[in-house]
Amino acid sequence: MGRPLKTIDGHAMLGDETYLSLRPAELLRRMDAAGVDLAIARPMGAGLVVDHRAGNDLVLTAGPRIRGLASVNPWWGPAALEELLRCRDQGAVGMFLDPLRQGFFPTESIVAPLLERAAQYGWPVMIRTGAYIFADVLAVVEIARRFPSVAFIAGFGGYADMWFEMSEAIGSVGNLYLDASMLWGDGIDEIVRRHGAARVLFGSAEPRNRYRVCLRTLDRLELSDAERDAIYYGNAERLFHL
Amino acid sequence: MTRILDFHAHLDERWLHVRCDTPAHAVDALDRFEVEAACVFTIMGFYEDCRPHNDALLRRADEFPDRLIPFATVDPKQGRAAVEELQRCLANPRFRGVKFHPWLQAFAPNMLRDTMLEILHVAAQHRAPVLFHDGTPPYSTTYQIAELARWSPETTVVLGHAGSADYVNPAAELIRDLPNLYGCFCGPRPGDLVHLVEVGGAEKILFGSDFGAAGWRLLPERIDNVLEAGLDPRDLDNVLYANAARLLKLDEHPLPPGTQTSSEAGR
Ligand SMILES: [Zn+2]
Repeated sequence: MGRPLKTIDGHAMLGDETYLSLRPAELLRRMDAAGVDLAIARPMGAGLVVDHRAGNDLVLTAGPRIRGLASVNPWWGPAALEELLRCRDQGAVGMFLDPLRQGFFPTESIVAPLLERAAQYGWPVMIRTGAYIFADVLAVVEIARRFPSVAFIAGFGGYADMWFEMSEAIGSVGNLYLDASMLWGDGIDEIVRRHGAARVLFGSAEPRNRYRVCLRTLDRLELSDAERDAIYYGNAERLFHL
Repeated sequence: MTRILDFHAHLDERWLHVRCDTPAHAVDALDRFEVEAACVFTIMGFYEDCRPHNDALLRRADEFPDRLIPFATVDPKQGRAAVEELQRCLANPRFRGVKFHPWLQAFAPNMLRDTMLEILHVAAQHRAPVLFHDGTPPYSTTYQIAELARWSPETTVVLGHAGSADYVNPAAELIRDLPNLYGCFCGPRPGDLVHLVEVGGAEKILFGSDFGAAGWRLLPERIDNVLEAGLDPRDLDNVLYANAARLLKLDEHPLPPGTQTSSEAGR
């Protein structure tokens, strides 16, 4: 498999969270070192959970090679919708929600106005998925059924111990995509084989993961050129309207 | 490049309906990625009667005694019989450790405290490390596994995933605070490893891949996760080799010589 024309990282994180920390300048340095052209970033830590203005400003002013996903806590109510409008005007390309850190079930009524807004803006919605109750992959499938016009991206792909739901989940709705940043090669490969490369986005989960780990994981799969191009950049361009 | 020992791999005929690598295939992967030896665990033995699975694992590992190091498992729900099965296994010096997967084996350590204490005691007598799956509720949270290290300070307890997806920070702190608690870096990512080494100490973290449960690709992926953390050479050697060699007592009891190579075995 040769190198793709370009590489778009579908999931990087900026800010400070527990022991992780990443600023735009360092992300750009890592992108350059790995040959990554563009990264889609979302806030982490306080900027994700409580201080949305700061978190969103961090990812939305990091450009031009870093584009931002806006994040708001659904418990903010109408103020969350105002913040989404502000972010759209600043060039956000989608929304990021973390049910685990922000404390809600994706199916709760407080979330619906945010998803309606995403539909209106043509935004994809990335939702963190994993083993913890609020982050249930199947809850994301449920809202994907309720909002068929919105593209949902399963952030971290159920990592770690819900990985075994991922392939079925993607098979059961047409508007759910995999963020491949934390899934191992065989897990990614199974989804590509069963559901097609159009459902998988390259992501790095920087600074938790590393570009080199994620790129080498994909390079070991026996992808056709068309599959490779879809995963490395084509799907991201389509979903984020880049 | 430093030497590599893999402290967490699986060697079984199948995982539920999925067929797994043969011993020759497993050793072939070890060869390709320059891993000297791997600690290997059952998979179906977590679901079914342990005793035949311990015997089958030993038979498989004995195809390459210089490369595959079996860990026994027992079912603590069986009480006294579990302790006896552990004694039977550890009487054979080929078994160098014990593996539990509490959520697959359907027990929380706290539900079976007396049996677990006896098991930990037997392991300590044999100086055999006991590795537990960790990082997942309701039976295998990192805190639940660390409790076992508190109950039995003379036993070496290893968090099988060093916190896995969501318990890395608790794992780092518990490894720092409990002298007999170690972390197998198997699943978390380079940014997590930096933190585990910084807080828990490079002499308490051991590399593991989990390969054998999924395909061969897991092995190089997980080696990449270590290499990309940018550890200094001394810490890197501790994580990839020296800590495992110490817990497995390889200096005192070297692995038996091999009888064949993976290519001779005809794969
Ligand atoms: Zn395992």
